Amino acid sequence: MRISEVYFPETIAETLELLRANPELQLVAGGTEIVGSQPTRSIALERQVASIVKIKELRKTVRTEQFLELGSCTTLTGLRTLASGTLPEPLYDVIGGIANHGVRNIATLGGNLCCKNRFMDLWPVLACLDAQIELRSAAGARWAGLSHLCGEDGSPSFPPATLMARIRIPLFSYNFIFVRSLGGNALPGPHTATFACMANLGRDKIEDFRLIFAGTKAFRLKEHEMAVDGRRRGMKGREMQSLVDYYTDAFSSQSWYDQRLFASLAQEAFERLCS
Amino acid sequence: MIVDINVNGEMRHLQARSGDRLVDVLRDRLSIASLLPDCLSGRCGRCFVFLDGRLVQSCLLPAFKAKGARVVTFEGIADSPEVAEIEEALRQAGALPCPFCRTAKIMAIVDLLERHPLPDEKAAMEQLDMVSCACTDPISLIKAIGLAADARSKRKFNRANK
Repeated sequence: MRISEVYFPETIAETLELLRANPELQLVAGGTEIVGSQPTRSIALERQVASIVKIKELRKTVRTEQFLELGSCTTLTGLRTLASGTLPEPLYDVIGGIANHGVRNIATLGGNLCCKNRFMDLWPVLACLDAQIELRSAAGARWAGLSHLCGEDGSPSFPPATLMARIRIPLFSYNFIFVRSLGGNALPGPHTATFACMANLGRDKIEDFRLIFAGTKAFRLKEHEMAVDGRRRGMKGREMQSLVDYYTDAFSSQSWYDQRLFASLAQEAFERLCS
Repeated sequence: MIVDINVNGEMRHLQARSGDRLVDVLRDRLSIASLLPDCLSGRCGRCFVFLDGRLVQSCLLPAFKAKGARVVTFEGIADSPEVAEIEEALRQAGALPCPFCRTAKIMAIVDLLERHPLPDEKAAMEQLDMVSCACTDPISLIKAIGLAADARSKRKFNRANK
């Protein structure tokens, strides 16, 4: 068993200093995914590890009129116990469906977004909500959209030697929300995926439509979303079916998830959107 | 490395390797018998501890993450009135968990009543879902939780003998 060197930075600055000295440093916040995905008694970690969960700057919550800003080491339970109405409704529900209460007491928001092998439940929901992440590295700090965590082939990708410090969620609300988590278990498995679809239903038109499906890879087509925007709210029959087919045809090139399951979710989402 | 952890009120300086899980360190170094590394994925509840007051699965925690924390195992609360009330409620409701999951279910109920003094059925079911063992009928368990909640509030507000 490899023995790792474990560091306990107390500030973001200290963490960045460690990252600068060793770009391969493994950052562990909750660690539920890293630990739970290993069936062996002893956990395999990188040569150098930093435990960042106790950094106070990474646990702060700030709410303004426009957005909610959360430190990346906020636990999922911490998020769910924010004052009523603080957390956007779809997030509250999705967090409640993640694993169980004990795991949510350990798991963090940042850990959920930075998983190396897959997109976890919160990524598609936060991406639909246009959340932004603050990335810090030796080069400085910058804000980026969540698509920044998705590589060109749709796989998760995280910039090296970088720390995700904060997540900023706009408090703009959607009046159509359809989210389904698939493959539920205490910890994610090969069939775990999340389907999120949101839109604003105006008096006559559908606006700000988004549809994201994410598991081991992420699927989002902006041109398809634009094709739905501006459609009549009460569209029925052929028009609605053509949109479902448009999506299912596009998904047929994706081999990472059961196409029929995606098709049935897309069908249900569009039926609800148009009902 | 040495990890300093307050376990059941006593400061311990435990030798651990970077890849050791907290459950293994507590069980092997301190011989804490209530803990069992069974599923290693947070499903069975056999390794529940309170870490700084929050119920967590110690199989999912690297030991180094407990550095400086307060850890309470079942042994640390076994003699408390809360556990006595829960055991009595389980007896009354005819919901007797098997030896495999008994401590896990009691820990889960202690945590639930701490957060929700009068839990509804949904909260109770969600909490019981953390312990995968299906030895006990959930209806009796929910009844037991209700009885324990009642006993707890009677004690807390000094209504026990009225």
